[in-house]
Amino acid sequence: MDANNNMTINHAEKKRGSWRSSPLLWLIPLIAVLAFVFVYPIFQIVRLSFTDANLIDADFDYTINSYIRLFTLPGFYQMLSTTSFFVFFSVVFQLICGFFISLLIVQGEKFKIKGTVIVRTAVLVAWAVPGVIIGIIWNTMYNETDSGIFNYILSFIGMGPQPFLSDPLLSLLSVTIANIWRGTAFSMILIYAGLQTLPSDVIEAARIDGANAIQRLTRVILPILSPILLINLIIISIDTFNTFDMVMALTGGGPGRSTEVISLSIYNSIFNKFNMGEGTATAVVLLFINVMMTMVYLKVLGRKDK
Amino acid sequence: MNKYIWAAIICSLLLMITGCGGGDSGGEEIELTWSTTSGYSPEAPTQAASEHIAGKVREFEEAYPNVELVTEIQNSNIDEAMARILEQADSGRAPDLAAIDSYLLDRYKDYLQPLDDLMKEKGMEEEDFFPFAQDVMKGEDGKIYGLYMGTDTRVMYYNTEVIDSPPETWDELIETANDIQAEGYEGIILPGGRGEGASVTTLWPLFWGQGGELVDEEGNPTFGEGENREKMLEVLETMQQAVEEGALPQRMSSYGAEGDLNEEIAGGNAAMFLGGSFQESFLKETLGDDFENWDIAPLPQMEGGEPASTSGGWTWGIFTEDQEKQKAAFDLITDTFITGEAMDALDQLPALSTLYESEDYDGTEFTEKFRESLETEANVRPSATSYRVITVEMQTALSDVIAGNKTPEEALDDAWEVANSN
Repeated sequence: MDANNNMTINHAEKKRGSWRSSPLLWLIPLIAVLAFVFVYPIFQIVRLSFTDANLIDADFDYTINSYIRLFTLPGFYQMLSTTSFFVFFSVVFQLICGFFISLLIVQGEKFKIKGTVIVRTAVLVAWAVPGVIIGIIWNTMYNETDSGIFNYILSFIGMGPQPFLSDPLLSLLSVTIANIWRGTAFSMILIYAGLQTLPSDVIEAARIDGANAIQRLTRVILPILSPILLINLIIISIDTFNTFDMVMALTGGGPGRSTEVISLSIYNSIFNKFNMGEGTATAVVLLFINVMMTMVYLKVLGRKDK
Repeated sequence: MNKYIWAAIICSLLLMITGCGGGDSGGEEIELTWSTTSGYSPEAPTQAASEHIAGKVREFEEAYPNVELVTEIQNSNIDEAMARILEQADSGRAPDLAAIDSYLLDRYKDYLQPLDDLMKEKGMEEEDFFPFAQDVMKGEDGKIYGLYMGTDTRVMYYNTEVIDSPPETWDELIETANDIQAEGYEGIILPGGRGEGASVTTLWPLFWGQGGELVDEEGNPTFGEGENREKMLEVLETMQQAVEEGALPQRMSSYGAEGDLNEEIAGGNAAMFLGGSFQESFLKETLGDDFENWDIAPLPQMEGGEPASTSGGWTWGIFTEDQEKQKAAFDLITDTFITGEAMDALDQLPALSTLYESEDYDGTEFTEKFRESLETEANVRPSATSYRVITVEMQTALSDVIAGNKTPEEALDDAWEVANSN
């Protein structure tokens, strides 16, 4: 009788133990939260993208017209090329500027130059300021009247007022520069953290082996930093693709559609034209681009990491 | 013992039921739900408006002690708020009374109650309202379904020290703009970017002035076909010509709202601009003594075009079928919002023409001219659901033309292709 009891207790304990050792129990809250705030909204967006829903009528039908319209009507390919220009130059220059600023700060700290903390703080401020405010600040600087700061400076060298926000190409360039300024800080923080962890003995060894500064940078520092650079690249790419607030405040997508990036187009479709079907179809395209880019980055750069 | 307890409970319940259902209906407690914008509520942003509305609401509550007023503040996104009320009305959950954007009133008329009898009781006549307001308020059956309160109109503001006689056509306007630039002023400034201001102030008045129609009777877009296309094309070509001749600065392609011009006006370099009646107070506040040099004139038109402007504003609609509530609601809106005192406090133009003679309406320097504009030139945007796409696409087209990004033909064709495919 006792033996039987012991066996039953052992069996129950084993069962309880297997539950305890399983990570599933701990993951349930996380899965529930993710399903609620991530999976369900994505499902709803994909579902709505196959409808003709709008913000005025409650009724809608299922259709693929939103996608057909999106790919065939004027504006879609311009939006894609505008977004590509904006994302490519923003990401490249945020990465380059962030890298060099952090390198300068590290070198400055090494040589105990005063003011490195001020530089670090000043760059960080750009990251802390909300996008809408950045849009307004840059709008003031790009102002095309006499009160515009850049045009005022340019007037001293006889370059006259430049249409920073009303020329189709110049406005896209202006928005991209503002975004580079905004995003450089984030890259700087990540790369600065990475540079702090560089093993000094490896760099010292390279120096003893006769590697010059450029060789040390390209053959030693960059390979060690590559995991951080990869994460940085993924984050700022997705972030730039999703940029909405700053562009909205700076140009509103204009003139015409010259600065209408994908996320702004989603906003315009849903909240200005009330076209939920088209807006969500554009959102699905944006989601697809983000996922594809992340996979490409992981495949190409992640392989090197291994 | 239990029997006595049960008897007491049943008696109390009966008393409660009879108490609730009985009594004189006049003294019965009723709940009146009014859905309003924050600007037309005791929480209005200006002190004058807020004090006026709060005071009138207090008076209403004293006059109707049996009415509990439930205030619902609408979403600040007007279109979203309007869509919600329509959805509520469609499912029988509409508020008893609601503020409705005037140009959208048509969409609600199937759910609203006629106000003719209530107007008669108050001594209000349909003809007392401006013609454009009557068109908005009246349903297909000839009955009145909404009460227009405040409105606005679009005009040309100009500095009389710089411009002797205001231009009447766009050809004259381009010439005048070039002349004043020689004196160091800006040419003509107007909203020409992506925003509703560009549609209502710059595009539609020129298009309507030529007799153009944005939509047909079914609400389908018509602006890009037949004669309408020619008229719209002429509007865009005129804008292109104004930019090419240096009369219209390219940067106007990034100004979507009338308010976007304010910075330039305050800078003192503007001698004329196209704007809304609501900018008068800004002009007065900003220019100080120089304001007395400013005047207004009708919007310049195309050669041979008729005077035309765009008016907006808000209406009130009553959804409840309960007659007692209807009467209370009607009293609330007429006493609070459709008086001269209210229009002064809200800094708006009355849509009720008789209010202009009212002793309690002070108005402003330009009130008489605004009144003339409302009487003779005012048009209201179509309430068709296709309007949103039309306006967004045409704002983009205008902005593209002023920025030199597209030719008028390309811009119009692209806008038409999108609007017509919806």
